[in-house]
Amino acid sequence: MQNVVTVKEPQSSVNLALGYALFAAAVVGSYAGVLFTPTGIERIFTNHYDFWACLGLALAGWIVRSVGGHKGVIVTMTVLASFIILTLHQPMLLRYLTFAALLFSMGLYGMVQSRNAVRVLLSIELMLNAVNINLIAFSRYVDPVALKGQLFVIFVLTVAAAEAAVGLAVVLAIYRSRQTVDMDKFTLLKW
Amino acid sequence: MFANGDEIFKISRLTLAWLTIIFTIVWMVCWGVGIGLPMLLSQQLGDQANLANEILRAVTPVIAILVFIPINAMFMVLIERRALALWTVRKGPNRVGPDGNLQTAADAVKLLLKEDITPTGADAAMHTFAPILFFAPSIIGAVPLLAAVTNDHPLFHILNLPTGIFYVLAAGALPVVALVMAGWASNNKYSLVGGLRSAAQAISYEIPLVLSLVTVCLMAGTLDLVKIAQQQAGGILNWNLLGGGALVGLNQALGGGGAKALEAAYPMGPVSYICAGLLVCSLIISFWLYLTGACAEINRIPFDLPEAESELVSGYNTEYSGMKFAIFFLAEFTNLFVVASVTTVMFLGGGDNPIPPYILDKIPGIPQMVAAIRDSFFCQTLHIINPETLFATLWVIAKVYGLVIFAILIRATLPRFRIDQLMAFGWKRLIPLSLIVFIIVVFAREFVNIHG
Amino acid sequence: MGQDLLPPLLSAPGVETWAFYILTTLSICLAIAVLADRVVIRSGFILIGVFGTISGIFLLLSAQFLALAQIMIYAVGITLMVVIALMLTNPRLEREQAVVYYDESLPPLAKIFASCKRNLSLWVSVLSFVTLYSALIGENHWPLSDQAVSPDAVKVLGEALVTNYSIPFEFSSVLLLAALMGAVMLAKGESKNRDDDNVAIVDEAKKQENNLALQR
Repeated sequence: MQNVVTVKEPQSSVNLALGYALFAAAVVGSYAGVLFTPTGIERIFTNHYDFWACLGLALAGWIVRSVGGHKGVIVTMTVLASFIILTLHQPMLLRYLTFAALLFSMGLYGMVQSRNAVRVLLSIELMLNAVNINLIAFSRYVDPVALKGQLFVIFVLTVAAAEAAVGLAVVLAIYRSRQTVDMDKFTLLKW
Repeated sequence: MFANGDEIFKISRLTLAWLTIIFTIVWMVCWGVGIGLPMLLSQQLGDQANLANEILRAVTPVIAILVFIPINAMFMVLIERRALALWTVRKGPNRVGPDGNLQTAADAVKLLLKEDITPTGADAAMHTFAPILFFAPSIIGAVPLLAAVTNDHPLFHILNLPTGIFYVLAAGALPVVALVMAGWASNNKYSLVGGLRSAAQAISYEIPLVLSLVTVCLMAGTLDLVKIAQQQAGGILNWNLLGGGALVGLNQALGGGGAKALEAAYPMGPVSYICAGLLVCSLIISFWLYLTGACAEINRIPFDLPEAESELVSGYNTEYSGMKFAIFFLAEFTNLFVVASVTTVMFLGGGDNPIPPYILDKIPGIPQMVAAIRDSFFCQTLHIINPETLFATLWVIAKVYGLVIFAILIRATLPRFRIDQLMAFGWKRLIPLSLIVFIIVVFAREFVNIHG
Repeated sequence: MGQDLLPPLLSAPGVETWAFYILTTLSICLAIAVLADRVVIRSGFILIGVFGTISGIFLLLSAQFLALAQIMIYAVGITLMVVIALMLTNPRLEREQAVVYYDESLPPLAKIFASCKRNLSLWVSVLSFVTLYSALIGENHWPLSDQAVSPDAVKVLGEALVTNYSIPFEFSSVLLLAALMGAVMLAKGESKNRDDDNVAIVDEAKKQENNLALQR
């Protein structure tokens, strides 16, 4: 562990490029699902715009990053632009679902990445909200009469409230005994 | 006999004059934007003006609220200081203008001209955003009330929501977050403690508040504010304060329905009468529960611990000055007004006359007066006066400002709670009481035929 | 906003799209800020904005009741609890430090792998989004319905809650009660020991006072 040092900001352009490459691969992969639909092949060959646009975004982001742009701004702009590109020509239901998926993955990232235990709870709330959007979108577009989706959202709200109360109480109890809420320090059960 | 008779006279004169000025201005603005201007435009342009007229009608309620809130807050500050002076046997504001009546105008000018300070180490964005988040919900929450208090006037009809009361409650819950935000962003320990206290207090007292309103909604069978207000029409016995519709049968019997109406409304004889009595008691208790919870929610004095000046300098707004402080100040009085309006609509019959129509019609002169107003030039041609709305609005104003003055009387009378007393009172007294009332209402309403 | 105004306004061409994109843009920006802000308490406050915009999206989906419930429960209740917990567990209101372990001595390829390992959670989340999105694209034949949501949706919900879904409803109330009691028990914790500590501290202080008095 002697070699490990703390630096302010690592050289992460390679990392970022890899990320964009993976994102582009993801867009390509998303076509894999289309391939099995009847008009899938024509769609891939006629609608190239989102693939090329995402690739262009990746390139632009990489260039701006290597010139020295602010990381948060680039990430935000890229996420937003790719979200708009991916949803603009979709039906309304699919837009809501894509937004929910994006929010869910952001919550997932926060949950895994955060070191503060309260921020983990906060990310879980984000994920639950994404699920709620999914349920309400389906109840609006698929089942607007019986509204079963909205019913389930009521239960999700209840469970989320209970979860937040108990989770925060656990965090407070841990803080009282360990004087920290850093997730990396809770290693009592690690072997 | 009246040691301060002329003070009382002065306050009454001030109230009448100010209320006349406020509501004349607000109504003239509303009429100008919503009716007068569209009429003029259609005369000049014909059908081309339809879109513009629709937009004008849609923005009327917002303009009405935006005009109303600042003048109303100025009036309420003045009346509060005067009434406090009366009840604590002091002299109120008496320097600026005649009898000190321009004091709040001078205060407003002073606040607007003051330097706006952001303390060192404060989170500037949050510090600026907190007053906005505190003020905006009180405007938004006042919006669906407009249709309810004006007896569903066509100008304000678009604001009527099917989930009206829930909307008002959701808007009323938001300011708490703003107080915590203001307390944290000020980088001041007193502010932080004030904000946290307000959060704890609001969360505890929101439960009895919401439960008491849920009781009323259970009796009314709807969340729509306009429907709740209209159900209570027809005299004081129909008001939700007295049984939430349990006495409608009695009212009908007195109004000429006789024993048949009694039989229809109370089908089970003595059991129904006992249940009606229980309902009346529970609804009166819920009325007081609502007033208590609302007092705590808007930090009025027996519960104003977040800004207790003997313990925390001024609580969450210690570090605020100038315009931002003025917004906090404005919002507090707007909240008081909103709470009084909610009480009026939910418990005191909205714009309903306390005297039932079967008595009112027998008083000589009143039907003729209503007919004369209805036939007059103002009503028929210019639509300045709408007789249904006019009397409803007058009653609403009387009730709302009566409640405001009652809140001021409480402030002059009661001492402040201690924080542990406050919590114990909320959790050990009010919440069990509201639950008991709720359960009694759930069972008792089965034995009475409510609202016909 | 009103019951008469919202459906025709939303059915006008483009309005729902524009509202959707404005709300989602705000929401995504605020969500990124929640995850990225170094001051945890501030990110707790920003979460209110995320919940507010999501409640706007619920309004777009004509779920009025749930939009208001979202504001009341999430934006006020849960966020307030989170913020207070943050203030209690972070008494000095300090910023989280961006600690990055970065090994200088590795060869270039190993450096890349190390950086991938550091950002593993990013890959996981990107992959999860990709999986979800491709699943959505591939499964795009739901039985869509053209009917509008009924204006008295609240009534439908209420009736369903006390008829078909009454058992889950009861269970959720039991769950809430259990969570309430559990949270109180957990948060109260070792009050007895702490009281003993306080008593000991008070005793010590008294002894010291006595000693001082004796010395004088």
